[in-house]
Amino acid sequence: MVPAPLPVVLPLLVAAGMTAAGRRLSRRAADLTSILTAGATTALCAGLVVQSAHHYVVYWFGGWKPEHGIALGIAFVVGPFGAGLAGLAALLITLAHVYSWRYFEAVGTLYHVLMLVFLAAMAGFCLSGDVFNMFVFFELMSVSAFALTGYLIEESGPLQGALNFAITVSVAAFLMLSGIGLLYGRTGALNLAQIGDALAGKKPDGLVIAAFVLVSSGLLVKSASVPFHFWLADVESVAPNPVCAVFSGAMVTLGVYGVGRVYWAVFEGSLGSHRAEVRGVLLGLGVVTALLGGVMSLLQSQLKRLLAFSTIAHVGIAIIGLSLLSPLATAGAALYALAHGTAKASLFLSTGVLAHRFGTVWEDELHGRARRLRLAAALFALGALALSGLPPFGTFLSKGLIDDAARQASLGWVGGVTALASALTGAAVLRFAAHAFLGWGVPERGAPSPHEEEAETRGERWRTPAVMAVPACALLVLSAAITFVPGIGRGAESVAARFQDRGVYASQVLHVPAPIPAHHHLEPASPSASAVESGLGSSVLAVLLAAALVGRRRLPRGLGTRLAHVLRPHSSLLHSVHSGLVGDYVAWLVFGVAALGGLFALALR
Amino acid sequence: MSRRIRLILFLVSGAGFAALLVWGELGLPPFGRYQGPYGTILDSVAVLQRHATDVVASVTFDYRGFDTLQEEYILFAAVAAVTLLLRAERDESWQPPSDEAAGRIVARPSDAIWLIGLSSVAPVVLLGIYVVTHGHLTPGGGFQGGVILATAPMLIYLVGEYRTMRAVSPTSLVEVAEAVGAAGFVVVGLAAMIAGAAFLTNFLPLGRIGSLASAGTLPLIEVSVGLEVAAGFMLILSEFFEQTLELRHRRARE
Repeated sequence: MVPAPLPVVLPLLVAAGMTAAGRRLSRRAADLTSILTAGATTALCAGLVVQSAHHYVVYWFGGWKPEHGIALGIAFVVGPFGAGLAGLAALLITLAHVYSWRYFEAVGTLYHVLMLVFLAAMAGFCLSGDVFNMFVFFELMSVSAFALTGYLIEESGPLQGALNFAITVSVAAFLMLSGIGLLYGRTGALNLAQIGDALAGKKPDGLVIAAFVLVSSGLLVKSASVPFHFWLADVESVAPNPVCAVFSGAMVTLGVYGVGRVYWAVFEGSLGSHRAEVRGVLLGLGVVTALLGGVMSLLQSQLKRLLAFSTIAHVGIAIIGLSLLSPLATAGAALYALAHGTAKASLFLSTGVLAHRFGTVWEDELHGRARRLRLAAALFALGALALSGLPPFGTFLSKGLIDDAARQASLGWVGGVTALASALTGAAVLRFAAHAFLGWGVPERGAPSPHEEEAETRGERWRTPAVMAVPACALLVLSAAITFVPGIGRGAESVAARFQDRGVYASQVLHVPAPIPAHHHLEPASPSASAVESGLGSSVLAVLLAAALVGRRRLPRGLGTRLAHVLRPHSSLLHSVHSGLVGDYVAWLVFGVAALGGLFALALR
Repeated sequence: MSRRIRLILFLVSGAGFAALLVWGELGLPPFGRYQGPYGTILDSVAVLQRHATDVVASVTFDYRGFDTLQEEYILFAAVAAVTLLLRAERDESWQPPSDEAAGRIVARPSDAIWLIGLSSVAPVVLLGIYVVTHGHLTPGGGFQGGVILATAPMLIYLVGEYRTMRAVSPTSLVEVAEAVGAAGFVVVGLAAMIAGAAFLTNFLPLGRIGSLASAGTLPLIEVSVGLEVAAGFMLILSEFFEQTLELRHRRARE
């Protein structure tokens, strides 16, 4: 029996302890303490996944159990998805600390302390069953993330990135809080199950729609979906690489998880009567996010920015999975988050190896210089193929589940969108790798001026320390290992069926009798032949696309110039939209909320 | 995006956003007609269950105490963030900040300010301790009292005794105090778990309603939050002071 609060409480206590010890704690001791704490948290979360496999683990803080369906206290309601996501966050923090061992330039124990608080906040967000408690964890996560973004204070970039991050996400927090206020005003409750019970069976009115739009917009900002995505590229192009690995690998996924958790626990009883409309709006959001992210990723020549846009594309794929609202698709989205999160974190850690060796992550400056880094080259190539969905990486399996679910809903074209987005992001990384490691083609012009990435590491630069490479390898292995877990698709699907059942959730949390025992017809979820085909297809497309970009000069003259002619105006428009000005971002954010509100208002009335 | 396009985008979307908000708020119960069960139930049971006459304190530190623990840690993380971002840069010793007026002479404060400032330090500390320790009885508590306590060194600074201020609140000690305060809340919660109850369950006798030693673990949590908040604010202040005053001192010496 794992006590549910421990994944939150343990890192918080250790963070306070390390602050008290301060500089008395040696660097080695601080690293070791962090690794052990985050590692123990990973194990605790894994324990919770097993423990909650068939029944939610419900934990009432202060022992204030609900009476007559009314909750006075705060509950953790742990299911396998929440615990699994918390475990992924903990694992990435553990590996980030292994990566940072000795070489990463740490300021006293502040880096360790903030990473542990960040971990506690992410775990709490995943485990909580109370909407205000989720908000508080959202805030705690944000504050620690802002600080970690601005970590390298010597240059203006990180501070600017942290500022854009802070302003955008603070607006998101206000949105979420306003939505919570509306819900509390109507129902007098903050417990997800209790609000869900109060709203169930009633026709959605303005308050319910506004609350849904506000809460989910707040969470979608965190998940960096279009048009709330702008901050992510600014943040990840300047934040330290191990921090980016956690942001892209776990934090953005939390936003998608939050939308799902809140929708099925709170709003499903009211909005569920308009299933097709909700699916349509969310699907549109996912498709736009996946494609725009993919195209923008291909247009970047700074590696970290490229990876950030690629994350946006893959978040789009996860949102597509969520939007289909079926257990099969949700299972696919959950496994996709795991498969993509591990692969992307691996790529960011490999990026750290490049930054450590060459002091730059710009494509033109690295051109051909990294020829001798064979391991890093292999890591980049495999990571790119994992992004493009090559079997046996978990991305192909989980994308296959999403595609199957889309076909069942007579939305076969969705499979084309997910394949294209995967191919675009895979091609972007492959092109970068061909330029940097092989020196093929001509240097991309891109860097506005010669510049030095601020060193975040120290120590000898002519060798890649093993501690930097091993976590990246382990993450790729993990991303592929998902496919070989027997029955993982089936298991995830039955968990997803429970995740979507508001009645079961409410009865297990509030101990009120369940309305009707739900029966779910589960389709066999195994890597189907079409998933393998589609995965291979998008990978081949990625390779061809990358080859065409690298060998652009060798294309037939007419084709090459025509291609450039068609692409340039669009790409300059896209670049100008991603201006780096936080005022623009907030304007787009408000636009996004208004658009979502308008669409839902039209669809649900 | 030009200024003009941004403004148009914002105004059009802002109108839609405002309409959404108004539409949502029209669904709220009318002003003054509280419908929720939460407040009504707590009003009748909280004092009897927790022996705390300040119901707000029993909500924030017990019924929803786990939220408050995270809020305390938000301040904790913010202090760490300020310390991180305002740390001395590698080149800061030889490159003085340029936004300071050279040769600015600050007049010594008058005797009246000096006397009144210094003589109010002790009452402020006393008031802070009172507010922290009586949180379960009257409005106030760890957060409010902590901020009051943090103003004491501020007063010393305001009367021009910067070095005295640093002497009575040395950073190394304040850092430990902050960490102990943050950890204290967690430890109170964990103690309940070790005793076999849920995290943050009260495990002390509840005492007589209205007396200082009542409400079980609430005063313990209040004191630990008070310590964290007071120390946290002192740390933020001293970080800003270091950034401005100490660098100026360093340059003046050159």
